[in-house]
Amino acid sequence: MKRRDVELIAAVLGDRRPGPELARWLATDEGRRELAAHRRALDAFRELYGPRAVERASASAAVHYTSLAAPIGRVLVAVGDAGLVRVSFRQSEATFVAELERQLGMRAVRSPSETAEVVEQLRAYFAGRRRRFDVPVDLRHVTPFVRRVLTATMQVPAGNLVSYGDIARRIGQPKGSRAVGQALGRNPIPIVIPCHRVIAAGGRIGGYTGGLAIKRRLLRLEGSLAAAS
Amino acid sequence: MRGPAASFTLLAERRRPEILAYLVRMLGNRDDAEDACQETFLRAHAAFGRLDAGANARAWLYRIATNTALNLARGRARRTSRLVESDPDTLAGAVGTGAEERADLRAVAQAVGALPPRQRAALMLRCFQGLDYADIAASVGGSAEAARANVYQAMRKLRAALGRESA
Repeated sequence: MKRRDVELIAAVLGDRRPGPELARWLATDEGRRELAAHRRALDAFRELYGPRAVERASASAAVHYTSLAAPIGRVLVAVGDAGLVRVSFRQSEATFVAELERQLGMRAVRSPSETAEVVEQLRAYFAGRRRRFDVPVDLRHVTPFVRRVLTATMQVPAGNLVSYGDIARRIGQPKGSRAVGQALGRNPIPIVIPCHRVIAAGGRIGGYTGGLAIKRRLLRLEGSLAAAS
Repeated sequence: MRGPAASFTLLAERRRPEILAYLVRMLGNRDDAEDACQETFLRAHAAFGRLDAGANARAWLYRIATNTALNLARGRARRTSRLVESDPDTLAGAVGTGAEERADLRAVAQAVGALPPRQRAALMLRCFQGLDYADIAASVGGSAEAARANVYQAMRKLRAALGRESA
């Protein structure tokens, strides 16, 4: 191994502080690029084998799911031991189950009884009888940044609209509206975590993983969008 | 309870969680790790009487755990040599969010899977188990300098897995 690689890895691991020669190289484009690449590799490694990953692999509990018919089509929901983990639409049951098992590292078991509470609340919501959800959500399986975005989004009540920039400001990253949009696109619990209430600046509707027709439909249901739009 | 039996029970209770986590990391799934953990403590129990009073019992446990994991991984590699792809790390199969992040995770998972077992062991011990290079050497064999070299080689391979232009 080249001496520079050894010194760089020692610095990335925190074994040794960079000496003057390495520090100079780290200030060059190549040095910056290499340092960033090593850090990214280490981050990915920690994500794959760190405490959270071991916890996931160790969870022997099953995750329970069911489906319900809704005005926006069939909705699939999954509940784990710490709360709601997934709401999904426009997805086949087989794909939903496969993704769930892969991402959570647990067996997925169909269970109307274990999912009854959230199903009841979703039915009431679609019928216009409920405006806020009262079920625990489990966000341990998303990255810390996505978790912060989703937690801030949960504070937006039905009937209100905020922009991606508003959420970015609320989590203390005023320049992060693009990252906020991407994080919302990874919302594992749409509807209950109301990412549909987050729209683009200037009142444009923005994007929606489930499709803009569904986003408009949810906003009309909540009275945030005129029935004709 | 007094004497060696009591101190072994204490040691086992105290160290079992971290040894199990280490074995999950080494073997990639909970079931194999549980088996290996049980075997580790059976072997440790049998050998405990021969452990010097002043010895580093924690590094000694890691050594037994590492040998157990390497043996198990070897046996598994023989059994499944034609079915490598059907034997994924369940840890590595989990999560991943954005496309870029998923690509990183896949590449790094593959690189970890391809590491020689001793490098994998040294890397896990350094990054997650809180062992210094002397204790890593005591666990995987060789000198502290060789242990450090194993960790650095492994790190270099993980970085190489991300490709040239990616930064």
